[in-house]
Amino acid sequence: MSVQPAQKPAGAPLLQVKNLQTHFAVGGMVAKAVSGVSFDLHKGEVLGIVGESGSGKSVTALSLIRLIPDPPGKIVGGEVIFNGQDLLKMPIEDVRKIRGRDIGMIFQEPMTSLNPVFTIGKQVMEPLLFHEKLSKAEARNRAIEALAGVGIPDAARRLDDYPHQFSGGMRQRVMIAMMMVCNPAILIADEPSTALDVTIQAQVLELMLDLRRKREGAAIILITHDLAVVAETCDRVLVMYGGKVQEASTVVDLFENPMHPYTRGLMKSIPHAQDKGKRLTAIRGNVPSIFDLPDGCKFCTRCPDVMDRCWTVEPELREVTPGHWVRCHLTEDKK
Amino acid sequence: MGAYFARRFLLMIPTFLGITFMVFLITRFVPGGPIEQMVLQLEQGGGKGGETGAAATAGAAQNTGRGSRIPPEVMAELNKKFGFDKPVPVAYAHWLWDVVRLDLGKSYKYDTPVIDLVTARFPVSIYFGLIGFTLAYLVCIPLGVMKAIHHGSAFDLVSSVVVFVGYSIPGWALGTLLLVYFGGGSFWNLIPLGGFRSPGWEQMDWWNKITDQVHHTIAPVICFAIGSFATLTVLMKNSLMENLGQDYVRTAFAKGLPEKRVIFVHALRNSLIPVCTGLGHAIGIIMAGSYLIEFTFNINGLGLLGYNSVIERDYAVVMGVLVINTLLVLVGNMLSDVLYVVVDPRIRFS
Repeated sequence: MSVQPAQKPAGAPLLQVKNLQTHFAVGGMVAKAVSGVSFDLHKGEVLGIVGESGSGKSVTALSLIRLIPDPPGKIVGGEVIFNGQDLLKMPIEDVRKIRGRDIGMIFQEPMTSLNPVFTIGKQVMEPLLFHEKLSKAEARNRAIEALAGVGIPDAARRLDDYPHQFSGGMRQRVMIAMMMVCNPAILIADEPSTALDVTIQAQVLELMLDLRRKREGAAIILITHDLAVVAETCDRVLVMYGGKVQEASTVVDLFENPMHPYTRGLMKSIPHAQDKGKRLTAIRGNVPSIFDLPDGCKFCTRCPDVMDRCWTVEPELREVTPGHWVRCHLTEDKK
Repeated sequence: MGAYFARRFLLMIPTFLGITFMVFLITRFVPGGPIEQMVLQLEQGGGKGGETGAAATAGAAQNTGRGSRIPPEVMAELNKKFGFDKPVPVAYAHWLWDVVRLDLGKSYKYDTPVIDLVTARFPVSIYFGLIGFTLAYLVCIPLGVMKAIHHGSAFDLVSSVVVFVGYSIPGWALGTLLLVYFGGGSFWNLIPLGGFRSPGWEQMDWWNKITDQVHHTIAPVICFAIGSFATLTVLMKNSLMENLGQDYVRTAFAKGLPEKRVIFVHALRNSLIPVCTGLGHAIGIIMAGSYLIEFTFNINGLGLLGYNSVIERDYAVVMGVLVINTLLVLVGNMLSDVLYVVVDPRIRFS
């Protein structure tokens, strides 16, 4: 079953992820980083994927365009359907033609994600030269346009500067320009604003959302651990824990009516102005080792409402209210 | 940055002075100097041997005042001839003033200007050094890259074993082995026993000149390069592997670039930085020649000249060779700094 919004938008989904499983072999053990993630991404939507470190959200994102380092990682099962083709089964050369052209990806670390020995102009021009086969002069003009578009002052001159001559925020803008220069249908952003100052964060997110203005129907997958960012930018959210989707719904629905104890825990850990002076509630315990996840519900070791069967039987992801999917035994009786 | 290099250049002067002064000082106090040798000869020539041990171990400076059978006026003349009559700082200053005027003095042993001895042998050392050096880089860089790409494969393991065996064998020991097995003794006769060229090379036609030269080059060059093979190969491999794991490589893949471009343009360009900057240091060391290898193959290079001059206490030559070596190393280090700036845009000395 695939997580879908309540009112299905017209047309087929832009991207369909079915039962994605990515494992890592480390020291003779297998870490099931992603075990059976399914979701649809529709045209024009911003889909958030939320979770703590180690919940499998980044691995999910990297798996979509097969950027998992192999070894030690391996996508062991599932389908990622884009334009009617399964990205996981097509030859890697064909996936390379899609990367950067139809699906762009932005990473968390702007400081290390650009090549230090090449000018940013060269790096922004590369996708144009490879995917659109533009001439150098044309690519240069497009790169200047793209850099100016993400708010880099004096872009024509700064094209010949090296990454170390830019601040973190500026580098992330360069990264966004580089990944949006071919106007992709999908932009995957893995914690794009986490490493940046709060004031820069909002600007960077805004720039990404701009993509939808540049390309009709473009969609964005935004991976973050920050629920505030989700609330501001996303249309729909997947909450991940232990390599699985635990809850999925529209943003409004999720914030008004969080059903999974994990989601509720996350909400409570956001500080609010009216709670000044009070102790902040945190989810007790730590994320269990990826090698030692419980057999039943992945969250049972930390759940405040844990029941006996949670330890042995893993709940199914079910649609509790229209468009609101939850993987919890507590909600099973409600439908 | 210009200021940095100017300062760097000026710093070479005190370094040069320090090194040469230290060695100059040592030549003054090490036993067995030219005067003692001469005294020894005179005494033995006069049939009055017997005190040889004492003479050989005593310092040159003390020698003058002791109960020697050499007449004091002869002794004084000898001291004057070799410049031992002046205090060390004054003598050093004299020597330095000569060096500045490109006069390295005269060899006691050959009775020829040191500069002529050095210039005659320098091309020989450069010849072997540069060929060995180029060969090492030409082999090690592709080998290191291949090893990094096929990390953990049979090729990687086998080449690692070969490279480390080569690293463990000193060049001169390998030279001896090559001479024993391929030098025409009881085994194969593939390489000449030594020398830079065959006798009568001047009379050969051009084709024989070339083949003879190559014939004499193979074994020494292998020995020159063998030591740097392992370090250079492993440096290249590790550097590339480290860079392949960097975030910017993932970015390059995410842009949809072909694997070849990601590895050979994005990652390789970065991983060549440490290899390139080692070039300057290596040049200084390699050009100076290797006396043990030159000794093994009986090649009349700078290394052998330096070695013999130390054994024979031919101090003018010792100092002359030292000047050349010091300058080579200092210039090599400076070259390394320049290369840093050229290959890594992040580095701007100020």
